[in-house]
Amino acid sequence: MLQTAPQQSSAPTHEPVVRLEGVTKLYRGGGGVRDLTLTIDPGEIFGFLGPNGAGKTTTIRLLLDLIRPSQGSIHVFGLDVRRDSVAIRRRVGYLPGDLALYERLSARDVLGHLAHLRGDVTWTEVLDLADRLALDLQRPIRTLSRGNRQKVGIVAALMGRPDLLVLDEPTSGLDPLIQRQVHELLRAAAKEGRTVLLSSHILSEVAEVADRIGLIRAGALATVERVADLRQRAAHLIDVRYDHEPDREALLRLPGVQRCVVSGHEAHLEVAGDLRGAVGAIAASDMTDLSVREPTLEELFLAFYDHDPSR
Amino acid sequence: MTRPVSPLSESRVRTITARALREQRSGLVGWASGLVLFCLVMLAVYPTIHGNASFSDLINAYPEPLRKIFQLDDYTTGAGYLRTEVFSFVLPLLLTLFAVLWGSDLVAGEEERRTVDLLLAAPVSRARVVRDKWLSLLIGVTALAVAMEIILGVIGPLFELHVGWRGLSAAIVGSWLFALAFGTLGLAVGAATGRRGLARGVTTSLVLASYLVATLATLVSWLRPVRNLSLWQHTMGIDPLGTGFHVERLALVAVVTGLFLLWAIWAYDRRDLAT
Repeated sequence: MLQTAPQQSSAPTHEPVVRLEGVTKLYRGGGGVRDLTLTIDPGEIFGFLGPNGAGKTTTIRLLLDLIRPSQGSIHVFGLDVRRDSVAIRRRVGYLPGDLALYERLSARDVLGHLAHLRGDVTWTEVLDLADRLALDLQRPIRTLSRGNRQKVGIVAALMGRPDLLVLDEPTSGLDPLIQRQVHELLRAAAKEGRTVLLSSHILSEVAEVADRIGLIRAGALATVERVADLRQRAAHLIDVRYDHEPDREALLRLPGVQRCVVSGHEAHLEVAGDLRGAVGAIAASDMTDLSVREPTLEELFLAFYDHDPSR
Repeated sequence: MTRPVSPLSESRVRTITARALREQRSGLVGWASGLVLFCLVMLAVYPTIHGNASFSDLINAYPEPLRKIFQLDDYTTGAGYLRTEVFSFVLPLLLTLFAVLWGSDLVAGEEERRTVDLLLAAPVSRARVVRDKWLSLLIGVTALAVAMEIILGVIGPLFELHVGWRGLSAAIVGSWLFALAFGTLGLAVGAATGRRGLARGVTTSLVLASYLVATLATLVSWLRPVRNLSLWQHTMGIDPLGTGFHVERLALVAVVTGLFLLWAIWAYDRRDLAT
């Protein structure tokens, strides 16, 4: 790792909302999670990032007590996820990644049913949420598009203002306008001190709302990063072209250079802080082309992740 | 709960039981219509058989085993006719088939249709899910049984078919309990495995085995010792139409049904649910 970023919140006195310790759940056909340790603090939006099949959904379903770990312990609100499952779920809103609804009912009946089971939901709240997401409640589920089904799931997760929102790929199938609405709802929830765990396989989406991002890969947590730290790290990327193979060691010694990748006659440098030293030295060398740009979040995250020795 | 669920009167589906019944609405209506139609046809035919001596002669000429299996004694009387045509196997087995098909779907179907994540996101225990689903099965099977009782008991006399309410009720209760027991077993196998097809297959096989063991035991002497293992024997095998209620046998089947339900709750609670 380049740097050891602080992984705990600044308020360690709080009981974390979610605490997984050494959790293992493996499946025969492959997949699952291995020795996963993770905490999520009150009021934060935690983005769970990883390719499909990396273990995001497994982790989320473990939190909901839909499946049980073969090893490790899971606590939500400090309660045991198995023993106090009902008490926990009273305070959790959950959107399944593979959302399926009751096809024979209308959206209204599905939400009315789930609201009744939750017990602490007012119907006006449901109507407000449906209105914000432009969801027509009268239509039968079987006539709804994928995006509208997803809206039903999101309303179901958000209604009752639960203390913890667990959303598995919440914006999949939604158009950008509605995606933004959902992100706003999540930010508003976090502002009220509620906690959000959302998963996605798209970094930019997670980074847009999350405070911290955990990258999961092949069932293991590869890294957890604050989005703010990510953005601060390596402020610039310098791409340099030579007419010969560049000397990587020499480039790495330039001021501020944190990383250097050489491919053919090109060198890609990650530079933190003041650029002048590095750019000046490169400009004075026998390079043929030079460009400086800000890295995308993807590049930052993946650059960091590339250095992970476990990979 | 702190805040009331207001005003949710807009929603017609509230509890898990209500939703299960709502989702099965067309199935219930369909099965009820079919069973009612069957009973009506049987009643409509009865006047031509009632007191018709040539039928008695015909049936007396049947081989003994056939008469035993289809309980053909006094076929031309109301009770005898009903015993043979309605209660010897068609009505109880159809009612049971309905209960098994639906029971197997109640818990396992929710998993196969992947809606279980949505349901169990709500603060309800798995035990409550099984219990509430079973309640819907109880309500559905009872509704069908009551419909049959009314058709046969009220419409029957219009077709000159008179059986005492006691015998008819005993036969209906026997059919109802047999259906409920195996419907519960289907629910339990589904809850334990999450596989609806498996639950239907296993349970239907056991229904048929139960029926065959009890029925063939009247002919095959070596089956006689094991026939008490058959729930059919305790509900329909003892001729409830003719002999009335056998409370201790019905209690036994009710206890077995209760055990199936407890097994369903236990097995469902300890299992990983599939996505």
